[in-house]
Amino acid sequence: MLTRGTLAYIGQRLVLIAFTVVAVSSLVFIGIHQLPGNAFISERVRGDRLELVLHEYGLDRPLLEQYQEWATNAFLHGDLGQSFVNRGLDITPLVLRELTVSAEVGGTALLITIGLGMLLGVVAAIKQNTWIDYLLTTTSVIGYSMPSFVLASFLLLFFAVFLASATGGAFYYPLHWSGTYGDPIQLSIPAFALGFPYASIVARLTRASMLEVIRQDYIRTARAKGLRERVVIIRHGLRNALIPVTTILGPLVIGIITGSVVIESIFTIPGLGKEFVGSILRHDYNITIGVFTMYALMVGVANLVVDISYTAIDPRIRY
Amino acid sequence: MATAATAATAEELELAGGTVVREQVSLWVDSWRRFRRNRLALIAAAYLVLLMVDAIVTIFWTPYNMSSVGLLQPYDGPTLAHPLGADSLGRDLLSRLMLGAQVSLIVGLGTQVLVISVGVVVGLVAGYFRGILDTVITLILNVFYGIPDLLVALILLTILGTRGLFPIIFAIAVTRWMDMARLVRGQALSIREREFVEAARASGARPHRILFGHILPNALGPIIVQATFGIPTAILFEAFLSFLGVGVAPPTPSWGSMASEGVQAIRLAPHIVLAPSLALMVTLLAFNFLGDGLRDAFDPRQKR
Amino acid sequence: MANPILEVKNLKTNFFTDDGVVQAVRDVSFDLYPGETLGIVGESGCGKSVTALSLMGLVQQPGRVVGGQVMFHGEDLLKLSPEEMREIRGRDIAMIFQDPLSSLNPVLKVGYQVEEAMLAHHKFKRNQAEPRTVSLMDQVRIPGAKTRVDDYPHQFSGGMRQRVMIAMGLSNEPEILIADEPTTALDVTVQAQILELLRDLNRELRTSIMLITHNLGVVAGICSRVIVMYAGQIVEEGPVNQIFENPQHPYTWSLLRSLPRIDASRHDRLRSIEGLPPDLIRPPQGCAFHPRCPFRVEKCFTVDPPLEQVEANQRAACWVTMKRANEEMGARDIIDTSPGAASGIHPGGRKAAEEGPSLIAPEEVKSG
Repeated sequence: MLTRGTLAYIGQRLVLIAFTVVAVSSLVFIGIHQLPGNAFISERVRGDRLELVLHEYGLDRPLLEQYQEWATNAFLHGDLGQSFVNRGLDITPLVLRELTVSAEVGGTALLITIGLGMLLGVVAAIKQNTWIDYLLTTTSVIGYSMPSFVLASFLLLFFAVFLASATGGAFYYPLHWSGTYGDPIQLSIPAFALGFPYASIVARLTRASMLEVIRQDYIRTARAKGLRERVVIIRHGLRNALIPVTTILGPLVIGIITGSVVIESIFTIPGLGKEFVGSILRHDYNITIGVFTMYALMVGVANLVVDISYTAIDPRIRY
Repeated sequence: MATAATAATAEELELAGGTVVREQVSLWVDSWRRFRRNRLALIAAAYLVLLMVDAIVTIFWTPYNMSSVGLLQPYDGPTLAHPLGADSLGRDLLSRLMLGAQVSLIVGLGTQVLVISVGVVVGLVAGYFRGILDTVITLILNVFYGIPDLLVALILLTILGTRGLFPIIFAIAVTRWMDMARLVRGQALSIREREFVEAARASGARPHRILFGHILPNALGPIIVQATFGIPTAILFEAFLSFLGVGVAPPTPSWGSMASEGVQAIRLAPHIVLAPSLALMVTLLAFNFLGDGLRDAFDPRQKR
Repeated sequence: MANPILEVKNLKTNFFTDDGVVQAVRDVSFDLYPGETLGIVGESGCGKSVTALSLMGLVQQPGRVVGGQVMFHGEDLLKLSPEEMREIRGRDIAMIFQDPLSSLNPVLKVGYQVEEAMLAHHKFKRNQAEPRTVSLMDQVRIPGAKTRVDDYPHQFSGGMRQRVMIAMGLSNEPEILIADEPTTALDVTVQAQILELLRDLNRELRTSIMLITHNLGVVAGICSRVIVMYAGQIVEEGPVNQIFENPQHPYTWSLLRSLPRIDASRHDRLRSIEGLPPDLIRPPQGCAFHPRCPFRVEKCFTVDPPLEQVEANQRAACWVTMKRANEEMGARDIIDTSPGAASGIHPGGRKAAEEGPSLIAPEEVKSG
């Protein structure tokens, strides 16, 4: 599968990703540093003291000089600098630590999106025009019309409020992330809130594409061979129905990365998304830039992985 | 109009234009007839009209002053006088919910105005002139498709530094104009090959006249449908931004910021998060159903 | 002849569409004998493919087999459970389809698709299936079979794909192979190769082949017996040589006449059959072919003719038959009724034939 052509293609894409990350984060760096006073426009620092602090952080130097230093550190040494607010806090290790948390939640959400979405889509297609189909189709319309924070609120209301009081506290879902990484319940509820709207989209697409596929001649061939219906649907149908679904995988991954910003804030999950919003609200812009750089990298790599996964699913695609 | 020849051309053009207009009229009538049969879309449209009325009425009147803190006890539940109860500062929740529709509709419609003006021009130019211009525009479109919209909007709002409706509309439009441009480009590419455009070109019509006089009117149906689907996306986007605390500045109520306050007090007073969440959800559903109805009405072949 | 391996009796298949019930197969009965190659011919839409799909239990919604029997080894296939039928499909009765491009799964390796057919029926063990796939692909003359098993369908040409389909069909050594228009989508030279392959396999393996085609040339090439279908019914049946030399049903005769012939003069016109096949939601009363038949008589308008013996081993469903048309109605004097005469018309008869399809003026017939 990994032919010389594919490897060359991956190499090209990696160069392109590096270029994009540098360009995008530089734009953001320059844009944010155009703001007068940066992180220190707040009640905490005033007058002469402000100038002193700006000087201490090197923020009074010419923009180009600041950028040069930041870019050298960031792109050559992987050092994203220090927080403006918590002095001495290195951003790179912080961001990497938060990335693992976000990846855990986001990865689970992606599994839910693809797994649940395809399952619902296939079932709806097989049961076309029955009440099951109508129920699933309606659910998916509501699913993608429901903002993830609304779904999250409903889930919190149900699990943290209703279930807790209904079971007399026997079932306890903490409103705040307790740091027990990998706890399946703690993980699955935010992941579900994050993934379900996209699962609805996948379900819709899978249904349409499955209905198209099961009319194809090769499905009739598979039946003529005497394969079991389950094998016909899964091995011959689903594999082909997957092809149009893969085309939205890229936007889907970006959507989940974006959605995690909201979900992490609601469930107080200490991931990249919560840090991103928090740093903007705290005016801790060095962190904002650092997290954004990380995001740019993630989006680039995710798109590359998606593009390569096409070749695994559809043998007709070669790079 | 100096010579008889030019006069004849103008007359011919008018004739040609006349048929186009008549075709258009019957298209609209047909579409309306099909739309009327879609009950879900009609209900959605009725709800949205009500919402619009609500948004206008609340400019002049709300049941209570939306910003009078301590009108009620904080977190009070629903009563007859205050059907939705109080928020975390003791303000009347119903008044704030009614006002919240303003922000949602202004952002939703405002964004689409920007998106249509940019998307239509860019799409028409790319689709009609093709060539290098189209290549460049397509490339830019793909770059924009690759960026995580909410993150970029957040950064944009940070850089813009102000928290008003216009920066929000601007930030959303910048990250969400591509669907419209791509749609119009596709329409332009196919309509430019049709006979009446050929005829107009042969009779020496200028490009801007062909673009806005012939291609645009024929692409209007899909553009309206796309805009209808764009409105809920923008409303949702604004709700996200306000939910995260970078949207409309308080005390102006937005459904997103209200939901955010509600989540903070979810154990204490679940009604605070429920009210704006449901309002938002119903509104988004209504726009989606309306969009579905319009799409089926304008193009009955392209059913889901 | 030995006992038939497959007996189809009074098969009826309908399609329940929004416009009405389409009677695609209307009371079809025939036998298939061990080792023979039986051709089923007719225009598209005459029910020949639906007949085959009905035998296989592969008729899809909104279609349904509504009556009849398909006897195979003393069992009625139509009475089997879906699971029992599945076991017979591909193992005892295999089927290959018209368009080898769309009939192979684009995302699976061809070798796997052949192997899968074997593994589904446990006739061959897992460790036998793999080498057998290669030898099957050798047998259907795919060059370099050993490496090509790992290729995907899009890497094969049309003819090679059809060979893969045939290898797949033969993989479980079925007693019957149904080939539905196996050469229609292929180039003429490739068509000949595939037919030759089918003929050789039929001789070597003694597999009975049911070959469905609209192409009489294909039938002449490899079939020993032929069934002619029209409007969901069998109109004529018999040994190929006999039918080609002496067709008795006017439809068969017209079909043969519409065949281009290399020995015909270039000035001769090809004779197409006038009119269109009937609407199977409301099939015509009487003989289904009567609206297009040049030899129709009054009875044809009202009573559907049964399939009856007309010569040794030859049956036809016609009130008139070509024999009578020639002898009693003098058809021979007006148009050339010699079989397969593309030249069509006798000099003297040209004018009369061009005036209309019927030799009998409509006025002579009480309204049909």
